[in-house]
Amino acid sequence: MNSSFLEVKNLSFSVKGKTDDIPILKDISFKLEKEKTLGIAGESGSGKTTLGKLLAGILRPVAGEIIFNHNIKQDNKKIHPVQILFQNNGEILNPFRKVSDMVDEAVRLRSGKKEMVNIRNDLFRSLNFAEDLWGRKGSELSGGEQQRAALARLLAAEPELLILDEPFSAQDPESQLNLLNLFLKIKNEFNITLICIAHNLRILRKLCDEIIIIYRGRQVEKGNTEDIFNSPKHPYTKFLINSEDYNLSYDELKSVF
Amino acid sequence: MLSADIKDISILHGKDEKVLLSGMSFVLADSSINIILGKNGTGKSTLIRALTGLLNKNFYKVSGKVEYNGSDLLTLPESELLKIRRSKIGYVFQDAINSLDPLKNINFYFKRFKNEPEADALLNGFLLPGRADLFRLYPYELSGGMAQRLLLILTLLRHPQILILDEPTSGIDTPISNLILLKLKEFVKDNDKSILLVTQDLQFAANAGDRIAYLADGKLSDFYSNEMFFNDIPIPGLKNFLLAYNQLI
Repeated sequence: MNSSFLEVKNLSFSVKGKTDDIPILKDISFKLEKEKTLGIAGESGSGKTTLGKLLAGILRPVAGEIIFNHNIKQDNKKIHPVQILFQNNGEILNPFRKVSDMVDEAVRLRSGKKEMVNIRNDLFRSLNFAEDLWGRKGSELSGGEQQRAALARLLAAEPELLILDEPFSAQDPESQLNLLNLFLKIKNEFNITLICIAHNLRILRKLCDEIIIIYRGRQVEKGNTEDIFNSPKHPYTKFLINSEDYNLSYDELKSVF
Repeated sequence: MLSADIKDISILHGKDEKVLLSGMSFVLADSSINIILGKNGTGKSTLIRALTGLLNKNFYKVSGKVEYNGSDLLTLPESELLKIRRSKIGYVFQDAINSLDPLKNINFYFKRFKNEPEADALLNGFLLPGRADLFRLYPYELSGGMAQRLLLILTLLRHPQILILDEPTSGIDTPISNLILLKLKEFVKDNDKSILLVTQDLQFAANAGDRIAYLADGKLSDFYSNEMFFNDIPIPGLKNFLLAYNQLI
């Protein structure tokens, strides 16, 4: 019996090029325990989103294994243990449907019709999604409101693993802080395992128990969040941490690109 | 010598003439990076578009004066404005990839610049691949960081005196933001150059800004030196913005 909730073994992914296959991810391996939060960091184009999609089952790996110890019976095809909040979260909301209807649909699959309204309302409240927005359509919400509505829709499916893909990008500090507090609340209240993909290391430090650093499709460092911040081992990790303080010289930048 | 004096600009929107921004005045300082900080949705992008008549006149009404090298940009005919935007005041808008035509490869944008060595030096300086690899790519094949650098290069190739940038670090990872910062500092080394940059990225502003102002609720604060801005200047709304940021780092 394996104790980890998620185990990834030598995961690789590539896309077909004109002549050869172009590798996107190579030999990613890690274990994640239940109800822990893992951060995945690295520069854009390093393969972070691809990894998220592989874990969510949207893409199939060309090599390696992803093993979930989830609780869903195999014959139930309507529910999936993983949900993913994409970067452009507005896109998972139907612009022409009421938010409450969209969430109800997911709640009904999990919990039946009887408790549907109560569960949905509790969900909205715990995500601080204001009551006057419940009846609005997807297109009638601001970016931040869409993000909360999308989260409600994802959590209604009672995922065991929730993947957040760059949720903090293009937001001002106050929105980022609200969102960070919301994720910390979800982490505490929903008994859920979280994976957060971000290029902003500072926020990952506030949210995650463990961090993986990806550089050009390879996992260059993984470990406990504080250890990685206090004593980064790989030069690229050091480079990323320094970049957040705007401490990089032109020569240092040149040596990495 | 650069002279850009923005006087009492107000921007109204729609049939009911809703006031978006009112009574803004500032001078763009020579050889410096001037930054307007503000939250999402405060009208930063609208403001920079208003300065050179880029807002749709059917929806927006702009009053005030934008005095640039002796003439008021807001009263100039469109043909003159076009010339100024082409050669003197260069913009790099947010969401760089979408500024490019998806059906044209990168070569299309560079072929109008005949000085190849200059373009090559810029590509190299911005740590991008050379023209042989880069120019056959289409916008969908670029990362956000590559597109942002390319648009900056295309603007620099026109040798503007003023560079106006909208959220240059949005969705861009921090190493590339570092590089952009270094390049912007290089640009304003010259005496007659200036940058106006709007952003909500406080970390970037703190590291890049020579002068910083805060935009909130339709009002722009004065510009302060970097040091003064972060030292308890009583600007409405700024305290919470800084507080949230400090809790994040």
